[in-house]
Amino acid sequence: MQAYLNAPIKEVISKFPKVADILNGYEIGCVPCSVGTCLLKDVVAIHNIGEENKAQLMYEVEKAIYPDREVKRPVINKAAKAKPEILRYSPPLRMLVNEHLLIKRLLNCVPAIVKALKEDTVIDKEPVIGAVDFIRMYADKFHHAKEEDILFKYFDEKADIIQAMLNDHVEGRSHVKEVLNGLKDNKIDAVSQHLSAYAELLTGHIKKEDEILYPWMDKNLTVKQVGELFDKFNAVDNGLQRGVEETYKGRIEDLEAKFIQK
Amino acid sequence: MSKECECPGAKMQDFGKEEVKGAEEGKRASQLRQWPVQLHLVSPEAPYFQKADVLLSADCVAYSAGDFHKEYMKGKTIAIACPKLDEGQETYIEKITSLIDDAKINTLTVMTMEVPCCGVLVSIAQKGLQAAKRKIPVKSIVIGIRGGNVLSEEWIS
Repeated sequence: MQAYLNAPIKEVISKFPKVADILNGYEIGCVPCSVGTCLLKDVVAIHNIGEENKAQLMYEVEKAIYPDREVKRPVINKAAKAKPEILRYSPPLRMLVNEHLLIKRLLNCVPAIVKALKEDTVIDKEPVIGAVDFIRMYADKFHHAKEEDILFKYFDEKADIIQAMLNDHVEGRSHVKEVLNGLKDNKIDAVSQHLSAYAELLTGHIKKEDEILYPWMDKNLTVKQVGELFDKFNAVDNGLQRGVEETYKGRIEDLEAKFIQK
Repeated sequence: MSKECECPGAKMQDFGKEEVKGAEEGKRASQLRQWPVQLHLVSPEAPYFQKADVLLSADCVAYSAGDFHKEYMKGKTIAIACPKLDEGQETYIEKITSLIDDAKINTLTVMTMEVPCCGVLVSIAQKGLQAAKRKIPVKSIVIGIRGGNVLSEEWIS
């Protein structure tokens, strides 16, 4: 079993497809992950499913790998299955979760923006330009920079879970570049395609961070590090990036007024 | 016959004489790195408070949590108080504010017992934080009166 605990999750699923169903049963979304290099033991450790559920999950996985082996079934309260612990973040990670709320409001506008691009007889590029500006200045320069330049430095940046998040950032930037190219070349289909792809990518990315990465980080940060992070994030908010939050909150309200509340 | 006090903070409870087993080998080192410790007596100007991670503990906590020094005091600067019996609690609020603004402490961890009156110490910390110009992370840890277990541990601001 130890060998499989130290094996990449994609490899384990490929060899034992039943493991995918077990993970899905606990709402662990590793199955469609494009990276899949996280080790099985880390996948179990970092997901916020409670200790009893982790023991039950490990039992089910071991039985899936070794059906004939006698494995001791853990005693668990069945009512607790698939009920995650309530997420309570440390103050600096709560700041990032709150920033996700504004980003999710933009993502919520994307389907309507794309619909307008496809259906309107006169193409209005302004909402797309506004969305791209928000993505670049708020989601990337303001929010992702806090993660890449500050938060991730407190952890092993080569860890699979961090690498998976960084890959998402890179892929997101690539979609944004293609949206801009599409605008420049008047290729509206490409604009729609890459804006939608960005929204889908970021929706999954935020869910992974809120539900897996940040709770795992909170478990591993010391009190001292939490204080340092909070101080550094506040320095960003009150330094060169002062006013960014308010400015882009206003931009989102404008987009929502046009695309969501009509 | 006197009536027994019903206040959970003062109600008599005998935990019995059963020996509690734990790893007791070797001599534990004290993690205290300052004096004084009582909140009325400490000065936010003291060098050991500057940018420190501060532990504000209710008096009784150290007697309940068996590994208080090793688990909670280590690496922290400490202040202790009794929110039920101490007078001058307005001064406590001002002192917390001064620790945040003047000593620029990094974090504040408030440890209290599970009895309701102990919750006032958390309230004092929150009032001190609200009055401060700086904001810092504040954690609350609640310890059970029997066995010294951690009943809750969460960031409250």
